[in-house]
Amino acid sequence: MNDSFVHFTHADLLSIAPEIALLVAGCLILLVEAFAPALRRWFATIALAGVAVSLYFLVNAPAGTTFGGRYDTSPLTVFVGLFLGAAAVLAILVSRPYLERAGEERGEFYALLLWGHLGVSLMTRGLDLILIFIGLETLSLAFYVLAGFFRRVAASSEAGLKYFLTGAFGSAFTLYGIALLFGASGGTKLEELVRPGLGGNPAVAFGLLFLLVGFGFKMSLAPFHAWAPDVYQGMPTPAVAYLSVAPKGAALLVLFRVFSAVFQDGLPDRFRAGLAALAILSMTLGNVVALAQRDAKRLLAYSGIAQMGYVTIALVVFGRDALAAALVYFCAYLVSNAGAFAAVSALYRDETKAHPVALLAGAGRRAPFAAAVFALCLFSLAGIPATAGFIGKFFLFKAALEKGFYALALIGVANSLVSIGYYLKVVYILYMRDPVETEAPPALALADRLALALCAAGILAIGIFPSTVWEVARHAAATLPFAGP
Amino acid sequence: MDALLHDHLLTLVVFIPAAGAALLLLFPRSAEGAARNLALAVSILDLAVSLPLWTRFALTQEGFQFREKLAWVPQLGISYSVGIDGISLLLVLLTTVLTPVALLFSLTHVEKEVRGYSIAFLILETGMLGSLVALDLVLFYVFWEVMLVPMYFIIGIWGGPRRIYASMKFFLFTMAGSLLMFLAILFIAIRYHAATGLWSFALEDVTRLTFTGYTETLLFFAFALAFAIKVPVFPVHTWLPDAHTEAPTAGSIILAGVLLKLGVYGYLRFALPLFPDAALRYAWLVGLLGVIGVVYGALVAYAQHDMKRVVAYSSVSHLGLVVVGVGAFTTMSLSGAVLQMINHGLSTGALFLLVGVLYERRHTRELDAYGGIAAVVPVTTALFLIATLSSIGLPGLNGFVGEFTILLGTWLSPHRWWAMAAATGVVLSAIYMLTLVQRVFWNPFANEANRTLTDIRPSEFIAAATLVVLMVWIGVRPNDVLDRIRPAVETLQKSVAARQIAEAGR
Repeated sequence: MNDSFVHFTHADLLSIAPEIALLVAGCLILLVEAFAPALRRWFATIALAGVAVSLYFLVNAPAGTTFGGRYDTSPLTVFVGLFLGAAAVLAILVSRPYLERAGEERGEFYALLLWGHLGVSLMTRGLDLILIFIGLETLSLAFYVLAGFFRRVAASSEAGLKYFLTGAFGSAFTLYGIALLFGASGGTKLEELVRPGLGGNPAVAFGLLFLLVGFGFKMSLAPFHAWAPDVYQGMPTPAVAYLSVAPKGAALLVLFRVFSAVFQDGLPDRFRAGLAALAILSMTLGNVVALAQRDAKRLLAYSGIAQMGYVTIALVVFGRDALAAALVYFCAYLVSNAGAFAAVSALYRDETKAHPVALLAGAGRRAPFAAAVFALCLFSLAGIPATAGFIGKFFLFKAALEKGFYALALIGVANSLVSIGYYLKVVYILYMRDPVETEAPPALALADRLALALCAAGILAIGIFPSTVWEVARHAAATLPFAGP
Repeated sequence: MDALLHDHLLTLVVFIPAAGAALLLLFPRSAEGAARNLALAVSILDLAVSLPLWTRFALTQEGFQFREKLAWVPQLGISYSVGIDGISLLLVLLTTVLTPVALLFSLTHVEKEVRGYSIAFLILETGMLGSLVALDLVLFYVFWEVMLVPMYFIIGIWGGPRRIYASMKFFLFTMAGSLLMFLAILFIAIRYHAATGLWSFALEDVTRLTFTGYTETLLFFAFALAFAIKVPVFPVHTWLPDAHTEAPTAGSIILAGVLLKLGVYGYLRFALPLFPDAALRYAWLVGLLGVIGVVYGALVAYAQHDMKRVVAYSSVSHLGLVVVGVGAFTTMSLSGAVLQMINHGLSTGALFLLVGVLYERRHTRELDAYGGIAAVVPVTTALFLIATLSSIGLPGLNGFVGEFTILLGTWLSPHRWWAMAAATGVVLSAIYMLTLVQRVFWNPFANEANRTLTDIRPSEFIAAATLVVLMVWIGVRPNDVLDRIRPAVETLQKSVAARQIAEAGR
């Protein structure tokens, strides 16, 4: 092992510049808060600039691996990086008016968001299990704090503690899995997992199983989902908008990478069956439990659990085409889910209280724009045609049917039908029930408006003109490293 | 300019309402009168633009006309492919006629959220027209589903007391059917890709595929279920009475007039040509369900106390007859079925409209609340009577031609007993509809409130009279319409026969 971390080359630095930009932007916000608190109105702008610079470096980084084959720059990481960046931008846009309403305009919110984003970015670009783990922990630490951001609100502290305890548990599984893989393969780099016969080793099987638990936890895949509703409920909504989308996509990508490296000739049947069981359980449990939810954020949490069940079908199908379908699915999920949380953030006045769906009654009249985008997001999550959600499901089910997974596809569409029950319930409350609150909701801030408009535009753009995103996703998925033929 | 218009006529017809809806979004919410008038103007403009479809339609030309084809998702061979034959031509025109009629009625009867209402109606019109002209499976599916959303809002926001239940039921029922169709569409394209190495969802491509018996049966049922729910065929009809009862009048007009037809249309356009073997093998089931629908719908209609429910169940009965005609699959029965779809759209549209006229004045639809009002509202009575006679098939009006053609065509098919059983529906419809007319318009005065009823307003009159004129026209000159239907039906039969020969030879 002579490729030590100590000798950075120029190429190494260029490849990691996107993450450095995020780090610097986070630090800058903290410094500004310490030395020039009067400039707090600029935090969001600095954060946005940080993300923009980071994306600029990402797009312009030369393709190839750096740090001795540990760090990936490829169309795939660029695609995922843009996806993550979009999630960060939406979250930051919503954050500013949200924190202003809550009277908690503190710089650490943005700094933690940026650093969490940095962690997710490491996860998606790392080709070394240790690096992936460091990314995972960076993300987790940042969001443990964000979950408990409202220190004086019991629900928020509860969310922080719950997320921390269960998250630490999940991380332990991940680390144990990494240790087992290291023991069996003798290395932590993904390329060292590419070895004939390795897949049959029981230590590797258990290692992968533990990784699946750890990342399944991040994806809030049933049965590792129990934290999500509680944490979403207490966490500031803009942070949820990010947490409910970006880390899930990253976790799925990591699973794709590790499984593709170990199983060059396709997924063995026992893993396939196990993953299919996870997918079915997650879809069904998420959708059925969501039917009974009365809190908007809990409802969206269970909807997210179900959505992750759908997208796990891609992992069962396996292969680059399935990854492309998953990428499209995640793009659709990003605009719909982040949009839904942005709407929730904009529609509730008191940030520190619960978010009962019933309070939204009559929002269609009181806050027409936010309500209309919310409804559009819900229709998209339900997979109604001409929205992004339909396109996501289209490619996903196409991939499943192509490889002969008829039962999974059938269970998937049956679940979509169930999900319409609760998505439409929210639409019904927005438009067809008389308001319980006479006061108008807060006037929509410009940033909220922008975030909602971006999501609506994204939903319709992907929904009506899907060929571009599919082409780019396919091109990106083709560069999945170490995958077999 | 003219050539350009001609080449894109269908696109114009389909998207003018959507463009109108987009324009309405720019209006302030308070501009209710303007929204109302603009929506009506847009729908009338769309009607005007759609008329050249009728005049320029080449009677003798086989296949689809006014074709347009643009790549949409080229990687998967999904295209914006549209075109019409005689069947879709008539349904397109029915849609462009009924939408302004419905909006004209709404002019005076919708007060809340007028802008949203107008937007929903215009999007609905684009959805309906799109599904009628789409010749690509994905394009069709997109329009087919897009229709659900505005209709859900129309019933749910502007509907009656149980509107929430009705709108949810409507959405879930329809969605349940179409999700299976969605998987079937994907499966067909994947098979096409496996067979040819190319991706395509275009109807003309995928109809060249043949499936083995079992697969074909499954796919056929996936499609047929989606269409059966929309028609609706017994026993999946239960959403319809609720949706109709709760929908606002204009919603009922469109629902009965066009939406239900899309089920039969989808069956003719997609299920039959794609799976001819299965369709003919299960023709007995189609016919049986049709006959059950005819008799059951008629009996239940007779037992109703609510005018709208009577008309709603009469729709189940009348569409049962259309389904019988489709199942019998002779040129005559098929032509009659298509014609009867148009007839039913006109007569039931008019009936719902006139029930709406009475309801807006008395705020009840109970049969017993009326009685003896013929002298109070003579014009309404006359129009209602004509619509009723058209609905029960009086010679000289359109309904007779349709029913007679279906029954005769079915009698000439191997399924004579269907014709016998379905003919009872014609008799029964006379019983329950004439009873309705008698109880509402003629019986002795039951309620003093009826003495002060005002007669039909000019805008309502224009709306209803338009439909009556069309009823008389089709009744007197049915060949104007049948001449356009027949070639399309013959082409359909030929393609099915050709496919059967191909499969037999395999």
